[in-house]
Amino acid sequence: MNSAALQTDTQDIVVEEIFPYTPETIWNTLTTGELIGRWLMAPTGFEPVKGKHFTFQTKAAGAWDGTIRCQVLEAIPNQRLAYSWQGGDESNVGYGSRLNTVVTWTLSKVANGTRLQMIHSGFVMPKNDSAFKSMGEGWKKVVPSIGAIAADQGERN
Amino acid sequence: MIEAAPINAVMRTLADPTRRAVFERVVKSEEITVLELTRGSDVTQGAISQHLKSLKQAGLVAERREGRNVFYRAEPKGLAPLVDWMSHYGVFWRQRFTNLRSLLKEIDP
Repeated sequence: MNSAALQTDTQDIVVEEIFPYTPETIWNTLTTGELIGRWLMAPTGFEPVKGKHFTFQTKAAGAWDGTIRCQVLEAIPNQRLAYSWQGGDESNVGYGSRLNTVVTWTLSKVANGTRLQMIHSGFVMPKNDSAFKSMGEGWKKVVPSIGAIAADQGERN
Repeated sequence: MIEAAPINAVMRTLADPTRRAVFERVVKSEEITVLELTRGSDVTQGAISQHLKSLKQAGLVAERREGRNVFYRAEPKGLAPLVDWMSHYGVFWRQRFTNLRSLLKEIDP
């Protein structure tokens, strides 16, 4: 491996869906501790207040105890919620490696309900001109197989 | 612990577009022979064999011999080094959106 040739770049995950409910109802599920626990993971210390620190407990890996450390960065009722999402350890590779990301929820009222968009940003990806980059479209086709493995991992969380 | 080297080996192996195409066809079929892979491809049988050899070395493909035939199948474990945070969360968030949809139905049917 030629580490000098390996640069880094960040990428985002975007998931968007329209739900037939009001922004108020959606906001409630995103910001009530008990409800968050029923669809995401049970948070410890969450309050939809800017600056508030909270955690999620996930599967440990190597030197990392599995704690996701978060801080509310923005909380505009019924519109936008953003929090940092940090964890991992330098000594891990892949799942459990250093993670310094941000999760942003945006709610917008549409004719048939609410559009909910989630952007999980700041994933550091290896960028290697000769290898990673040229995988391009092919990479996406391989993803379903990777997805199956990741889903498998998720079940054990 | 997964070392950094296998990730690069897997990435390097899949970086070649022809080899990647071969791998994708192996992934899509349960088991496939070199002959079947050569059919419907404009690459020679020799080249396909070479690509399969590289895929095998990277741990992405496994073979099974039966008489004169060799059957290739995808080895999902070979892709494990590529399951990083991003692919983990790609699946994670889609599952969570599904959970959220069910929860909303429960709260407000």
